[in-house]
Amino acid sequence: MSTPAAVRLEGVSKRYPSLTRRGRLHSFKGALLRGELWRVQQEHEGFLALSDVDLDVARGETVAVIGPNGSGKSTMLKLVAGILRPSQGSVVVNGRVTALIELGAGFHPEISGRDNAIVNGMMLGLSRAEVLHRLPEIVEFSGIGAFIDEPVKTYSSGMYIRLGFSVAVVVEPDVLVVDEILAVGDEAFAHRCLDRIATLQRQGTAILLVSHDLGLVQHVAQRALYLRQGSPVLVGPAGSVVARYRSDVASEEAGEEAQGGKGRRWGNGAVRMDGVDLVDASGRALRMLSNGESAAVRIAYTVREPQEDFVFGVAINREDGSHIFGTNTELDGWRPERLAGSGEITLEFPRLELAPGRYLLDAAVHSKAGLAYDYACEVLAFTVTAPVGWPGCYAPRHRWAPRGPVMSPPSG
Amino acid sequence: MRPAVAKSGGVLASLYRQRGLVSVLVVRELKARYRGTFLGYLWSLLNPLLLLGVYTAVFTFVIPARVALPVPYPLFLFTGLLPWLFVSGTLLDAAVVLLDNGPLLKKVVAAPEVFPAVTVLSHLVHHLLALPVLLAGMALAAGLGLMRFPWTVVLLPVALLLWVVAVGGLTLAVASLAVHFRDLKDLLHNVLNLTFFLTPIIYSLESIPVPLLVKVVKVNPFTPLIRVYQDVVLMGRLPSLRLWLAAVVVALVFWLVGAFIFARLRETIAETV
Repeated sequence: MSTPAAVRLEGVSKRYPSLTRRGRLHSFKGALLRGELWRVQQEHEGFLALSDVDLDVARGETVAVIGPNGSGKSTMLKLVAGILRPSQGSVVVNGRVTALIELGAGFHPEISGRDNAIVNGMMLGLSRAEVLHRLPEIVEFSGIGAFIDEPVKTYSSGMYIRLGFSVAVVVEPDVLVVDEILAVGDEAFAHRCLDRIATLQRQGTAILLVSHDLGLVQHVAQRALYLRQGSPVLVGPAGSVVARYRSDVASEEAGEEAQGGKGRRWGNGAVRMDGVDLVDASGRALRMLSNGESAAVRIAYTVREPQEDFVFGVAINREDGSHIFGTNTELDGWRPERLAGSGEITLEFPRLELAPGRYLLDAAVHSKAGLAYDYACEVLAFTVTAPVGWPGCYAPRHRWAPRGPVMSPPSG
Repeated sequence: MRPAVAKSGGVLASLYRQRGLVSVLVVRELKARYRGTFLGYLWSLLNPLLLLGVYTAVFTFVIPARVALPVPYPLFLFTGLLPWLFVSGTLLDAAVVLLDNGPLLKKVVAAPEVFPAVTVLSHLVHHLLALPVLLAGMALAAGLGLMRFPWTVVLLPVALLLWVVAVGGLTLAVASLAVHFRDLKDLLHNVLNLTFFLTPIIYSLESIPVPLLVKVVKVNPFTPLIRVYQDVVLMGRLPSLRLWLAAVVVALVFWLVGAFIFARLRETIAETV
């Protein structure tokens, strides 16, 4: 590896001073009265937005930064773009960096698109002559046409964004920093943006990208950095980092649901469910499974008062409350004998053919007449994935069989 | 810590590197201000002319000023008003310029010193556009035999340079402090109002009857600046060496202090606006 990295972050931390420490922005009067005029200088207190991040991005490489909101993704991009300075560590960028953080930021509404493009291009580091030279390309790519000489206050929001993107990409940066901008604009323009990003990748531009569109991340980026509360969790190939992030999100949602669901649990406590889990064939708890995989619902219980009249039940619902499936031991013909001590009961699905999406699970133990010993709604949430986003809630194994050569089968 | 002089040099060097951007932004500012307003240039003259009319009327007819002057009073007033409107207009804009350009500072990589510089330069352009009116008035008065046309007016660029240096420093300070102290604009408004009356604009230093007041007015740092300007542009007399020195010191101190404050706060601007 003789070529130097396009971007190198070493032990980078960023701390924001707490501006609202007293609940309000600083006032000059207050500062004078308290003799705290230079208070803003002190940076050892405040909010740690990013801590100890190391990352190298090679020329021509695209790295995605993923993580939940507030995990420091945008802060990291701004550090690379040079908008912010790190509180600790070093950020080295080789070459011209362009930030696509907000398209058309700083356009002046009263002046023409052409003049705005010139100002924006110069802000991105071109000389006036260079911008003028590339202006035809900007106009062409943005598809704004004759409107280029109208004041931008007359533009639609789509035109505004297209012009902003066009200016930013004709700059041909060595390092491009992109913050969630491909989510804006129509489908056609999004495709053109992706095309242009692919071109830049081929030309050797290093790209650092923040996106919540995990599909896009896997499509565009080779590697990904997963941030959580400002700290790096994992850096590696985009596919595996995205998978890790997805499973964390699914288990968190399930965790929240288990807590939130406590209020929706009732019963006289004669029998108590100690745990309800979705498990795989080897008995490990699952939060996520593929369509058609085998899975089982395992209920662990403790009996306070031995029972001879009892039914175990399980129901699967969609988040909107619609019932997908429900059964209980009585419906399936099992007769109760005697329940005492503690034990487990498992409901097995050899093939759980649910459509991809998120599901909630209810579990209960009650008498035949319906007296609840322990009834837990939404005790568990899980996510079903599938290679295709089939709509609905049921996705059985299926095959198309056209007669004659009217269609070709999917590749791979 | 590096000395303040090096830091102020840093601001200037950065502005010089970005002179292309600064000039484009000044043009944009002027274009945006005058676009869509019929006779935009005349609008920029309206404010000084209006003030001129009001003060002239008040101090000629309502409270006749006992100002013994070798030149017509309205011209004296106008000569003082123009640089004052330059400083007050620039500083009031400076208090919001970084906040207004927040999107550029936060979303695009932009050097924060560019925006105060654009504020100063576009107000300087307004000032230069108003000067022909003053010169025409002086020529008219000279033609009518009311005064002698001052040859010292050739020193106007020097007097103006002092103003630009002083205003530049103050603008850097106000712009960067206003990011952290949002009430600075209100305070500034009052300070400017008070300073206006403590500066020999509507009266001349010689016409103050109370010696103590003379001292107070002389302590006002704007006094030497405005006296140099009035002497050179209107009175046709060379300011004394002491007066020149006082004006130069004021301008340099304003610049150095302003550039120092700006340099200290510079890194915090993008994350605070």
